[in-house]
Amino acid sequence: MSDAAKPTADQVPVTVLTGYLGAGKTTLLNRILTEQHGRKYAVVINEFGELGVDNDLVVDTDEEVFEMNNGCICCTVRGDLIRIVGGLMKRRDKFDGIIIETTGLADPAPVAQTFFVDETVRTKTRLDAIVTVVDAKNLPARLIDSAEAAGQIAFADVIVLNKTDLVSPDELDAVEAQIRRINKFATIHRTSRGNVPVTELLEQRAFDLERVLEHTPNFLIEDTHEHNEEVASMSFEVAEPLDQEKFNAWIGALLAEKGGDMLRTKGILSYAGEDRRFAFQAVHMMADGDFIGKWKAGEPRVSRLVFIGRNLNRPQLRRGFESTRAK
Amino acid sequence: MSQTLSNADHLLTTRGVSAQLGAFVVAASFDRAGAQAAFALGDGSVRLLAGEAWLTVPAHDGGALTLAADTTPSGFVSGGDDGRLIRIGRDGAVREVASYGMKWVEHAISFAEGKAALLACSVGKHVHIFDGAGAKLKTLTHPSSVTGLVFDAKGKRIAASHYNGASLWFVASKSDSPRLLEWKGSHIGIAISPDGDAVVTAMQENALHGWRLSDGQHMRMSGYPAKTAALAFTRSGKWLATSGAESVVLWPFTGGGPMGKSPTELAGGDETLCTFIAPHPQQEAVAAGFSDGLVVLAEIGSSRILPVAATGRGSVSAMAWSPDGTKLAFGTETGFAAVVDFTKR
Repeated sequence: MSDAAKPTADQVPVTVLTGYLGAGKTTLLNRILTEQHGRKYAVVINEFGELGVDNDLVVDTDEEVFEMNNGCICCTVRGDLIRIVGGLMKRRDKFDGIIIETTGLADPAPVAQTFFVDETVRTKTRLDAIVTVVDAKNLPARLIDSAEAAGQIAFADVIVLNKTDLVSPDELDAVEAQIRRINKFATIHRTSRGNVPVTELLEQRAFDLERVLEHTPNFLIEDTHEHNEEVASMSFEVAEPLDQEKFNAWIGALLAEKGGDMLRTKGILSYAGEDRRFAFQAVHMMADGDFIGKWKAGEPRVSRLVFIGRNLNRPQLRRGFESTRAK
Repeated sequence: MSQTLSNADHLLTTRGVSAQLGAFVVAASFDRAGAQAAFALGDGSVRLLAGEAWLTVPAHDGGALTLAADTTPSGFVSGGDDGRLIRIGRDGAVREVASYGMKWVEHAISFAEGKAALLACSVGKHVHIFDGAGAKLKTLTHPSSVTGLVFDAKGKRIAASHYNGASLWFVASKSDSPRLLEWKGSHIGIAISPDGDAVVTAMQENALHGWRLSDGQHMRMSGYPAKTAALAFTRSGKWLATSGAESVVLWPFTGGGPMGKSPTELAGGDETLCTFIAPHPQQEAVAAGFSDGLVVLAEIGSSRILPVAATGRGSVSAMAWSPDGTKLAFGTETGFAAVVDFTKR
C-alpha cells in the first residue's frame, strides 16, 4: 500500500439496511444471512421475532437516539450502536462485516452520524453503504404520508426497488423516476422478492463515493424541474484545483447554516499541490474527509460535489463551490 | 524505586506471570480472597490464574462482556453477549444465574460484607438484583439502556448511568422509585465515592459529570481528549482517578472540590492515551495502563512513578487489584495478560 492508503484495511465495513415497514427488509436480511457467500456478518436488529436466524452474531437492540451536547439539534446519534459496535470490536476476528437494520420509521441520519461522532466507532469501522428497500406498489403513497420515506431514499447509496411483480411496467418506471427525483446518485436494483445478489449490496464502498462516481454516467444531467420543499439532489463540478482552506471555510459555513436541510453531501476533490484525491462526506452538519488513492495518470482532476437535501439553491451552491478554486 | 523506564519490564519479568491469551481482554478481576485472578475475553472464554496455573473456562457463546468477583471468597461472575449471567467456581465449574436470550449482559457487579451478599447485572434498560444464593430479588427499570453500574461502599444503594443522567436506588427499598440524577446527554460509565456523597458519570462528550447528593450540587469536569473508559475513587475518597487523557487525571474531592480546582496529572508527557486506571485498594496510589501497552503504578502524594510493564503488548484494556493490594492483574486489546506480585520479599 502506498502512503495514500487510507487506514481502511483494518476497518470493519458496516451496511445500514433501512426501509419502510412491509417493503421486504426482513426477507432480504434473512436471505443475506442464509445464502452461502463465504462471509460472516454480525447483524444488529430491532424487530426481534421476525428474523428466522438465531446465532451469536445477531444482536437485538432498542434504537436509542440522543442529541449530542454541542448545541446542534440535528446532531443526533444512536447510543446503542456505539455500545454494540464497541462490544463487537472485541471479537472482530469472528465476522467480516456488520449489518445494521433500522426500524421502518427510522430517520437514517442518526445511524449515519454515529459513524462521524464516536471516535472508537469511527476508527474501527467504515460506513460502507446505506441500503434502502422500497416497495414499488406502496412507495408513492408512503412518499405522500411520511417524511421518513423520502429521507430513507435520500440517504441511500443502494436502493432495492422491491415487489416489482405487483406493478405494471409503466408504474414501475414512474416509481423509479420518483426515486430519481429525490436521489439520482443511488444504484437501483429492481427485484420481486429481494432477489438481488448479496455482492451488489454488501462491501460496496459506496460511502466513500469512488464507486458512485464511476457508475453514474449521467452525473451532470441537470434537473428538469425542482420543487424546493421536496428532497432533491444536485451535483457540481470544478475543473481547476481547489484551495483546501477555502473549501473547508465555505462548506463549514454552508453546513452550519443549512445543515438541517442538507441530508447528505459527498464529493471527490482535487486540492492544489496534492496528488491524492480527497473524499469528502457529510450527513447534515457533520462532515468528514480523507485523502484516498492518487489520481490516475492522464485522468482529469475534476472536483465533484453532490448535495441531497431540501431547499437547495443551485446558483448559490455553484458560485460557492467555484469560489473555492485556488487562484 | 531504582528502576528506570529503560528497564520498565523489571517488575513484570521478576515478579510477573503472563501469557498471550489470543483474544481481547475485556475485563480482569481477583476473587475476594485474592487467591485467583480472572480475565474475561472477547472470544467468550474466561481464563483463571492461580500462582502459575492457568485454567480456561468456555464461559460464553460469543463474547464475554463483564466480569466481577463472586460474593463468596472464591469464584467469579461474568456476563456475555449470549445473554447469560454465570458464576464460575475456582475449579472452572460454571453455574448459570440467569439467561436473557439475545440481549447482552453488559455489566455485572457484586457486593459482599459480613453476611450481606448481592449480585447485580444490567441487561438493556433493566438491572436485575440477586441475593448471594443467586435468587432474584428485584428488577429495576430505567428510561434507557444502562451503561454503567456500581454499588455504594455499604451495598445499600446501587447506581446506574444511562441517557440524561443516572438513577440511584436503595437496594432494600420496598417502593421502587430511584433518586434521578439528571443531566442531558449520554452517560457511559459511573462511580460513587466511598462516603456515598458523590456520584460521577463519564459522558460521550469526553467529559465527566457529577452530583453531590447532600446538596444537589452539579460538578462538571472536562478537558479530556478521549472518552473516559475507567473512573474510580481512591480508597480515601480524596481523589477520583480517570482515564481518557495523556496522563492519569485525578480530580480532588476535598475542600469543596473538584469545583474551581485543577486536577492533578500523573505519568503524563508521552503523548499516549491513558486507557485504564485502577486505584490501589489500600494506599493513595493508582495503577494506570496506556494505549502503547505501558503499565505504571503512580503514587499520588509523591507523584513517583513505578513502571510495571513496558510498551509494546497492546493497548491496556483491563486492570484489577487483589483486595489486599499485593497483586495487580492487567490485560490488553491484543490478548496479553499478566499478574504482577508486589509482596515484600
